[in-house]
Amino acid sequence: MAYSDKVIDHYNNPRNVGQLDKASTEVGTGLVGAPECGDVMRLQIRVNPETQVIEEAKFKTFGCGSAIASSSLATEWIKGRTVDDALAIKNTDIVKELSLPPVKIHCSVLAEDAIRAAIGDWKKKNGAAETADAATVTAAH
Amino acid sequence: MKVLDSAVPVACWSCSIGHNDSTLFCPHCSKIQPPPGGDYYSVFNLQPRLDLDLPALEQEFHRLSRRLHPDRFARALVNEKEWSLADTALLNDAYRTLRDPLRRTEYLLKLEGLEIGEESAADRKDRKDPSRVPADLLEEVFDLNMQLEEMRMARRIGEADPALQAGLSEAKARFAGMMQAVDQDLRAEWIIWDAGDAKARQDAQKRMVALLDRRRYLSNLVRDVTETLGA
Repeated sequence: MAYSDKVIDHYNNPRNVGQLDKASTEVGTGLVGAPECGDVMRLQIRVNPETQVIEEAKFKTFGCGSAIASSSLATEWIKGRTVDDALAIKNTDIVKELSLPPVKIHCSVLAEDAIRAAIGDWKKKNGAAETADAATVTAAH
Repeated sequence: MKVLDSAVPVACWSCSIGHNDSTLFCPHCSKIQPPPGGDYYSVFNLQPRLDLDLPALEQEFHRLSRRLHPDRFARALVNEKEWSLADTALLNDAYRTLRDPLRRTEYLLKLEGLEIGEESAADRKDRKDPSRVPADLLEEVFDLNMQLEEMRMARRIGEADPALQAGLSEAKARFAGMMQAVDQDLRAEWIIWDAGDAKARQDAQKRMVALLDRRRYLSNLVRDVTETLGA
């Protein structure tokens, strides 16, 4: 199966790889995994408490090229958005942007789950009322 | 994989007496039948169940294999010759699936309409079925992957790190142990499923799907660690 140019680009030059301080109240951590392929993805956000804007996003993904590209793209997209805006990102947007084939759609689902888990974790830390949407995804730790 | 409707009566091509579609040989005239349309269990004249008597299954497999052997059809009709080959292929598939504990469990769950493993992944895009992730494992899985990456990088620059190596060996043993625990849990679910009513079966099925996911995860990890250690 051929990867699209965009997947290859993200795979070769992943954006925002790294780690944020998990203990910080401004940081939300989402750790998700796909049992079917063994992929595991950690996505972290640092949110400005005043503006609710995601100022920093980092990820580390162990998995296939599509999983790495999906999470790399996800961090690019959520940076600079408010938390609520970031929740609007759907896996189908990632599929479109990266031209993922059907067998790799679950990679995009994983990335969306990771965003939600990270935001869910941040909300939990900050005692904000979780929206019904976010409540369906539990922060994975 | 062939999963068809449960057995329906058909007439034997030879003696015309109606019989159960799942049989390889007509119970009345003993003539070979075309590949039956039932599931793998019915090839062995069994009801779907998980805790199988494997010696009995093997015995039945050998008995049927002998009866289907092409040599026995040397002077038979063209159709019968073809069926002996097709029936043998079916019998082999059925036996290989049913004798293996994991494949048998997966097969039965599929018969029950559940999707497992890769097949379910694509359908999850609409999020109707949220990912089933062994959440309690994630942290450990992530750390292990970090260690593996570190180990591979150390190798690349020609450095052996005995502490890292020891840590990975220990992790491998731990995950292998978790896999054994999963297998035990699966066996416990088999007993529940085999003896249970519809409700108990449904609950057991859900737990088995989760256990299989967990097992797949663990077995991939053990494989990765083995590869890295052996490299």
